[in-house]
Amino acid sequence: MAFGSMCIGRTDRTRRRLLAAAASGAALYAVRVSAVDADPAKLSTAIRSAFGDRPIVQQRVNVELPTLAENGLVVPITVSVESPMTAADHVSRIQLFAERNNLAEIAAFELGPHNGIAKVSTRIRLAESQQILAIAETSDGRLWSGAARVEVTISGCG
Amino acid sequence: MTDKNRNNAAATAKAELPRRDFLVKSAALGGGLMLGMPLSGAAGAAEAATGADLTQWIAIHSDDTVVIRIARSELGQGSFTGLAQLVCEELECDWSKVRSEYADTNDHIRRNRIFGNMTTGGSRAIRDSQEYLRTAGAAAREMLVSAAATQWKVPASELTVERGVVTHAGTGRKARYGELVAAAAKLEVPKTPKLKNPADWKLIGTSPARFDIPEKTTGKQIFAADVRLPGLLHASIAQVPVFGGKLKSVGNVDAAKAMRGVKGVVEAEDWVAVVADNWWRANQALKVLTIEWDPAGNGDVSSESIKAFLRTGIDAKDPAIARKDGDAAQALAKAAKVIEAEYYAPFLNHATMEPQTATARLTDDKVEVWVGTQNGETSIAAASEASGVPLDKVYLYKMHAGGGFGRRGPFNEYVKQAIRIAQTLPAGTPVRLQWSREEDMQQGRYRPVSIVRLRAGLDDQGNWTAWEVRQSEQSVAAGVLTQFIKDGVDQIGVRVFSDSPYDVPNYTNEYVMRNTHVPPGPWRAVAHTNNPIARECFIDEICHAIGKDPVAFRRPLLAKKPKDLGVLDAVTKAAGWDKPLPKGVFRGVAVSDSYGSFSAAVVELSVRDGTVIDVKRVLVALDPGYVVHPDAVRAQIEGGAVWALSAAMHEEITIEKGRVVQTNFADYPILTLAQTPEVVPILVPSGGFWGGVGEPPFAAIPAALNNALFAATGKRVRSTPLKLHGFSYA
Amino acid sequence: MAAASRIRMPERAKAGEIIEVRTLMFHPMESGFRLDNKGQPIPRHIVEDFTCSYAGAIVFRARLYPAVATNPYVVFHVRATVSDELLFRWTDDHGVVVTERLRLEVTPG
Repeated sequence: MAFGSMCIGRTDRTRRRLLAAAASGAALYAVRVSAVDADPAKLSTAIRSAFGDRPIVQQRVNVELPTLAENGLVVPITVSVESPMTAADHVSRIQLFAERNNLAEIAAFELGPHNGIAKVSTRIRLAESQQILAIAETSDGRLWSGAARVEVTISGCG
Repeated sequence: MTDKNRNNAAATAKAELPRRDFLVKSAALGGGLMLGMPLSGAAGAAEAATGADLTQWIAIHSDDTVVIRIARSELGQGSFTGLAQLVCEELECDWSKVRSEYADTNDHIRRNRIFGNMTTGGSRAIRDSQEYLRTAGAAAREMLVSAAATQWKVPASELTVERGVVTHAGTGRKARYGELVAAAAKLEVPKTPKLKNPADWKLIGTSPARFDIPEKTTGKQIFAADVRLPGLLHASIAQVPVFGGKLKSVGNVDAAKAMRGVKGVVEAEDWVAVVADNWWRANQALKVLTIEWDPAGNGDVSSESIKAFLRTGIDAKDPAIARKDGDAAQALAKAAKVIEAEYYAPFLNHATMEPQTATARLTDDKVEVWVGTQNGETSIAAASEASGVPLDKVYLYKMHAGGGFGRRGPFNEYVKQAIRIAQTLPAGTPVRLQWSREEDMQQGRYRPVSIVRLRAGLDDQGNWTAWEVRQSEQSVAAGVLTQFIKDGVDQIGVRVFSDSPYDVPNYTNEYVMRNTHVPPGPWRAVAHTNNPIARECFIDEICHAIGKDPVAFRRPLLAKKPKDLGVLDAVTKAAGWDKPLPKGVFRGVAVSDSYGSFSAAVVELSVRDGTVIDVKRVLVALDPGYVVHPDAVRAQIEGGAVWALSAAMHEEITIEKGRVVQTNFADYPILTLAQTPEVVPILVPSGGFWGGVGEPPFAAIPAALNNALFAATGKRVRSTPLKLHGFSYA
Repeated sequence: MAAASRIRMPERAKAGEIIEVRTLMFHPMESGFRLDNKGQPIPRHIVEDFTCSYAGAIVFRARLYPAVATNPYVVFHVRATVSDELLFRWTDDHGVVVTERLRLEVTPG
C-alpha cells in the first residue's frame, strides 16, 4: 500500500518557513493550515512534549531531503548539527517531526561527545508533501532547529 | 541502495555534463525527438542570443516567436493549446507566432520546482493553472510595455498593445515584442499585474487550431513507444500474473539467450525481462522462457469469490458513515412505499492505446528517461529512487502519451523497470521497455469493483423522504492515496453519494471497504464512472414506481442547486424533453456534478428485437464555469461519450485463479467507430468558477443510457457490461 | 522481529578517528495506520528502540516511531577510542530484542 499525496491540487506558493522568525517556543511554529487537514496543534503538542516551552533558535541544524519523493514510502533524510561535539559542548539530542503525518514524531536520537560529529541519517515515510523539522538540544540545554520541504508526487486521482 | 547504484551516484556527483553540450548532443540524435527535449529555462546561449525569458513560462525570440512552457502533460486533451491560450490572452501577442513546449523537468528540479505542480489528472490542468498562467502573461506584457516606455521616455499608460506590437499613439512609435524582449527581460517581474475582466477576453473562449493535432494526424508525432536512439536495445517483460506474487524460477534461459538478437535476460523479484536488438525478438525469447511464479496465497481468487467478499460488506454491521442527514432508518420505517435496489460495477482497465513504455539510458554522470507521463514529477522521482541517482542528475524527457486516463499518473513501475534493466547493460546503452498488449491488459491498475445498495422511502404523496445508500467497494485511495481515507471512508469513493445534490431530508451514506488483491487505480472519472449509474438509475426506478417524469421529479429536488438544475434544464431543452419522440425511440436522463463542473446527459435510442441497441444521440450539457477552447471541450465530451458507451456495453475485467482473464482487445473489446452515435455537446459556462472538463462529461452518460434502455425495454439493468444481459449495439 | 540485520563499519580505525556506522534491521515497521482488506487498521508493530554501546557506555540511541520506513536504516558516527566491541541492540514493541556485536580495532593515532 502506498502512502501519497497531491490530488488536492495544491498550487505552489512561496516556500514558507516553518519556524516563525522570532522562534521563541513551540507555540510560535507557523504551520501551513491552508491545506487539507493540517493540524498545527498536533505538531506543536509533540514539540512541547519533547522539549517543553523553551525557546528554539532557527540555526545550526541542517536537514537534507530530496526535493521530490515518488510515493513517500522510503525517503532518505540526513540531519547534521554544527557542534564541536566535545564533553563540554555537544549535541545531546536530535528529534525529527513531520508537519502532516498521522503522528508528528518521526524519530529521536540521543548523542554525545562519543559521536565525534552530530550527523544522523535514516529513511522515513511521508503521508504527503510537507516540511520536516529537526530540533537539536545542545549540552547547555539550548534548542536549535532546521527544516526542509519534500514534495510527495503521487497523484492522478480526483 | 545497491552497490551499483551507489557507484552510479558517486560517479554522477563527479562531473556534470554542461547543459549546452547536452542540448547539442540531444539535438544531433534526430529532430523528431526534440519535442521531448525542450530548450528551457536557463537554457544555453543559443536561445539567449535570439531572445529571452520574461518569466519561467514565457520566452520571446527576436523574431517574435513566443514559446510557452507547459508543466502539465498533453494527453490528447489539448493542454498544449489551452494553457498557451491562458498566457497569450493576457500577453496580447500574435497567436500565429506562439508555440508550446514541455517545461524541462530537470530544470524544474534545479530551480526549486519553479513550474509548480505537474499533475495532469483530476481534470485539473486548466483550472489549477489558469490563475498563475494568466498572471504570467499579464506580467510579461507589463514588462514589455515598461521597456518600451523607458526606451521612448513616455508614460507606460500612454502605450497600447495589440498582437505583439507596442504602440505610442502620440508619437506613432511602434515596437515588436521581439525588439523589446531583451530590455524587458532585465526588469523585475511584476507580482500582481492587472488581469483582464473575463468579459474582455478575446482568445479564451475561441478555438484556434490545436498544436498537437497536425502531427498526430500525419503520423509524425513521436510517442514514448516511438523513441529511437543510437544503439537502442528493446525489452519485453513478463510480470507475476497473480498480483502480489513473486518470481519463483526461470528456466530455458540458455535457449532464450541463444535466440537471434537476444542480449540478455533480467530477473527481478516479481518480473522477468528479455533484452534484444528489436522488440519482436525480445518478446519471442520471453515466450521461450519457462517461468514459475509463486502466487503468494492469491492463486484461488476469482470474480465470484470477489463478489462474495463484496457482499459481506453489504451485510456488515457498523459501516463507516460518509454522510448523515436526519434519520433515514426511522423515516424508512415510516415510509408509505419503500424501493430497494442493488447495483454492481466490475473491474475496468485503462487499456491505453499505447501500452506502458519507458526508455532509459544510464551513464556515469546521469540518468535519462523518455516516457509518456501524467506527472513529470512522479516520473523523475521514480527514476531517481530506482537508480539511486540524485534528482538533479536525472533527465526526464516527457513524450506525448498515447492515452493516460489515470494509468500514467500515480504509477511508474515501467520507469523503474526500464532503469533496472538499463543497470544490467553497459553504461550508455539505451533500452526501451515496452509492455506487450497482453501484459498491459493483465497488469493494469483497475477501476475497482463495487456493490451499492440503495433504499428509498416515499410518503403517501410521493415525496422522497428517506434515502439509505450502502457502498461496499474496493478503495482506490487505500491502494494509492491513503491520506484520502478519513474515519474509514475513502473520500474519493463516496463522491456522488456523499456530495449528492438532491434534497432528501433523511439521508445516510454508509461505506464499507472491501479491498481485493487486484491493484486499483484512478480510471477516467474514478468514482464518477460507477456511482452515478447507481444513483441516477435508482432515481429513475423511483420515478417509475410512482409514475413521475424523471425530469419533473428531479427539478424540485435540485431547487437549491442551481448549477445542477441549470445543466439538467439545458440538456432537456436541447433534447426537446417536452416533445414526444419519434415512434420506437426512447430516452433517459441523468445528472452528475464532478471535478468542479456540472453535467447532465440525455441518451436517445431504439431497441431492435429486444436486445440490439441503436443509440441515436447522446446529448451532454456541461457547465465548467469557463470554457477556454470550446472545440477541445466538445472533443472531451465526445471522447467521454465513447468511453462511457464502451464501458457500459463491452468492458469487464474478470479474475480466475488470481489473475486477469482478458488478454487483448479481442476479449476486452471497446466501442467501434460504427457503434459511435451522434454526440451533441451543449456548453453552458455560467462563469465565476473554474471546473474540469476531462472527467465530468463521462459521468452522467452511462446512467442516461441505462435509463433509456429501461424506457425502451422495461428491463432494469443493474450491472455492467450490458453484453452480459444479452444486449449489443447495432 | 526477524533476527536479521546488516551493519557496515570499518574493522579498524586510528584513535580519535570518527567512523561512520550504517545499520539496517529487517523489520516490517508496520505503522498501525495501514488498513487491511476490510478497511480495519493493521496493528502497529515497530522497532521502538535502538542503541549502540561502545567502551562501556551507550554512545548512540534512536527512538523510532511509525514514520521510520520498513527495515529501519540508521547511520551515525562514533569516535574510535579503544579496541572493543560495538554492541547493537534493537527492541520492538512486541518485546523482541535482537543484538549484534562487531569489533573495532583501534590503532594509536
